[in-house]
Amino acid sequence: MATDKSTQRVHLQSNEGMVIEVDRVVAERSMLIKNLIEDLGDEAIENQAIPIPNVNDPVLRKVVEWCEHHRNDAQTTADDDNDNRKKTTDIDEWDQKFMQVDQEMLFEIILAANYLDIKALLDVGCKTVANMIKGKSPEEIRKTFNITNDFTPEEEEQIRRENEWAEDR
Amino acid sequence: MPPASVMGMPRQPSSESDIDTTWNYLQHGITRIMTNLHEGIDLATYMGIYTAVHNFCTSQKASGFALSNHPLGSNQRGAHLLGEELYKKLSEYLCDHLRALVAESKAHADEALLAFYIREWQRYTDAAKYIHHLFRYLNRHWVKREVDEGKKNVYDVYTLHLVQWRDVLFQQVSGKVVDAVLKLVEKQRSGETIEHNQIKQVVDSFVSLGLEEGDSSKTTLEVYRYHFERPFLEATMAFYQNESKQYVAENSVVEYMKKAEARLAEEEERVKLYLHPDIAIPLKKACNQVLIADHSNILRDEFQVLLDNDREEDMARMYSLLSRIPDGLDPLRTKFETHVRNAGLAAVAKVASDAEKLEPKVYVDALLEVHAQYQGLVKRAFRDEPEFTRSLDNACREFVNRNEVCKSGSNKSPELLAKYTDVLLRKSSTGVEDAELENTLVQIMTVFKYIEDKDVFQKFYSRMLARRLVHSNSSSDDAETSMISKLKEACGFEYTNKLQRMFQDMQISKDLNAGFREHLQTLDKGKGLDSTYSILGTSFWPLTAPNTNFNPPEEVAADCERFTRFYKNKHEGRKLTWLWQLCKGEVKANYVRNSKMPYTFQVSIYQMAILLLFNDKDTHTYDEIASTTQLNPDALDPSLGILLKAKVLNLDSGSAAKLGPGAVFSLNYDFKNKKYRVNLNVGMKSETKQEEVETNKTIEEDRKLLLQSAIVRIMKARKRMKHQQLVSETINQIRGRFVPKVGDIKKCIEILLDKEYLERLDDDDLGYLA
Repeated sequence: MATDKSTQRVHLQSNEGMVIEVDRVVAERSMLIKNLIEDLGDEAIENQAIPIPNVNDPVLRKVVEWCEHHRNDAQTTADDDNDNRKKTTDIDEWDQKFMQVDQEMLFEIILAANYLDIKALLDVGCKTVANMIKGKSPEEIRKTFNITNDFTPEEEEQIRRENEWAEDR
Repeated sequence: MPPASVMGMPRQPSSESDIDTTWNYLQHGITRIMTNLHEGIDLATYMGIYTAVHNFCTSQKASGFALSNHPLGSNQRGAHLLGEELYKKLSEYLCDHLRALVAESKAHADEALLAFYIREWQRYTDAAKYIHHLFRYLNRHWVKREVDEGKKNVYDVYTLHLVQWRDVLFQQVSGKVVDAVLKLVEKQRSGETIEHNQIKQVVDSFVSLGLEEGDSSKTTLEVYRYHFERPFLEATMAFYQNESKQYVAENSVVEYMKKAEARLAEEEERVKLYLHPDIAIPLKKACNQVLIADHSNILRDEFQVLLDNDREEDMARMYSLLSRIPDGLDPLRTKFETHVRNAGLAAVAKVASDAEKLEPKVYVDALLEVHAQYQGLVKRAFRDEPEFTRSLDNACREFVNRNEVCKSGSNKSPELLAKYTDVLLRKSSTGVEDAELENTLVQIMTVFKYIEDKDVFQKFYSRMLARRLVHSNSSSDDAETSMISKLKEACGFEYTNKLQRMFQDMQISKDLNAGFREHLQTLDKGKGLDSTYSILGTSFWPLTAPNTNFNPPEEVAADCERFTRFYKNKHEGRKLTWLWQLCKGEVKANYVRNSKMPYTFQVSIYQMAILLLFNDKDTHTYDEIASTTQLNPDALDPSLGILLKAKVLNLDSGSAAKLGPGAVFSLNYDFKNKKYRVNLNVGMKSETKQEEVETNKTIEEDRKLLLQSAIVRIMKARKRMKHQQLVSETINQIRGRFVPKVGDIKKCIEILLDKEYLERLDDDDLGYLA
């Protein structure tokens, strides 16, 4: 190809019209973008912004920030991600700080990561939510995520009994 | 719930769109990718399709059916992944697309069909890669879940493309495609140039379609093997069956071999050029079968002709062809062995017209020539293959041990070989270069290895070595040592032990003589005899005491006496026996008239004793000589005979005309000879002849001893053994020396039983008695 991969810039356009310019490696943290460039060729993105119809300005900015920070991470392959990532809810320090956002934003980031196919970011997001749940009673969880309890007391009691074995004592 | 708006021209579906709306949009894009990819896809469409798939799969309200009013229902669907409709739609779409292609394919045949197949395959798989990426969201979630749950017949999107191709299009057209390929290959085999890239692409396509049941990420060669490899092999065999049948009928076998060789190389090249490597071995097997195995009989029949005409190159060709099929070479080896044996026998028969006068060199050279010729053949035509070498060895062993010359006696071969060695190692006027001599000795060993009666060779060799050493007419010590070490290498230490001891004795004798000379000087006994003595250990030397009395001349006797005292002083208790028949010396003839220089006669001690008598008077009678020397007629007559023949002595005309009692001898003062040194000590024919007979006689005796000692050795180690077992074990041990007869072994066992070395036990067992 005519352009050098390492210096090539990629333009990403949010659904609100804002365009962010990033290095190609940063954009390629997203499997979607990576496949797109592979399919359409380097020329196709030369002077054209890639529309990202499902992501708005602040979320795209946030996602790009994460990708910039993790630009040099090893790409996880399809095989090794299955086991390792599930076993731990540990999150590295930078990512913890990165995820200190309001709940609305947190969910938006998770949705965007899922849509853009950025596995590592999706993991971090889900782990963050998991940590928010960990150690809390059902009532506390409802409160955290603003869920109304639609169980009758009888239903609740039955569910509690069925899951007694799993309770942490 | 969104309005089910009509979308004539597909617009990007909103995130709330149902399956029909979404699919309507997607189908439009997919068709573009399928049919018009070369025009390119813009970013917006690419992202649009991806997003539509994503949105459909993430939409809360499920499929096209109105279920959204049930909160519980939608709750359950939260754990349910959406996508099945999409997957089905895609699958149906591909099916329709491929059916259209099948219909289109009917318009094409042969090469045009190939071009069509390849073009569509290429377009289809390119599109499949795109669509796989665009449907990645479906792959990641819905497909993954289905596969994880063990659902059969759900594949990732790319594999779905391949499966559909295989099930819809391939089943219909593969037969015709393969036919077209085979036609093309046949054209090439008939010498035309073809576009073989096409074939390679078809093969690659067939290989790609081999999807492993259960794990579609792996491929198998099943589809390729069944649909391509099998018919390809069948066509190949049919083609070559036909061709070779015709070619053999019209051409010579040699021409056919060249053709087959070329065809085999061609097929190997074909695999590299455009076939899958997996076919290499079965294709080779198939070709070997029809090109070689099916014609192996006429090839083998030709082998004898090639052998007879020394067609080395063609034999090499035949070897390489037949080596490709199992057991292809065995009949050749048998023929080769027979041929070499016959060649050897013929060569011997040619030189053996007069076996009595056969020169050892001529005989051995004849053997060597045959061996060298066929060893060369094995090396050049049969790649030095061990099996052929073994056949050569078998044949050589046969003709070396059992041929025309050996008819008169099985000991003839080793005897002649030993004699030839003697000729080589004896000092001779025709000086041989050291390197050349060494070479010849190596060749001698070649024959030696085939000799079965190695003990006979040993006998003759040691006798002749003894003679060379005693008469000190060995050509060089180095050559002697080299020969002995070669024999040792071939037969072991025991075989050459005596030979080595003989060598040592000569060395010791040299030192002894020096000591004796010093001893004489201290005695200062005036001028004695200039004498040299050799002390030969009785058990190592194949020599026996003389069979005549002998009264040595005074001068010699005195010196012998002194030496005996000197020796006994050194080695008390040893017994010295004089081997007069081996003694020799020189005398000067000062009496001869008409000669400025005195003649020197080289004579045996017997002749010396006779001549010294004439120092006292010029005439002696036979009886006088006999009584003074004490020699019996067997020794005396030949000695006198030579002196008469050389005209050193004259038979007096008055006496009996014949040599024997009554004859009178007088010294010939008018002796004349061209040389001043005259050798009168020439070996007598009858003497060597007699020696031969004697040697052969001792061989039988020695063999018995050898067998007995082997039997005792075995029994000492085993203590108890079956009769039969003992016999075969003995044969094993003795085989290195000669081939024993079972009858002889049995006789020896009987002898040992009588001597109570062995005892008979029950059940045909023999026991060892210490």
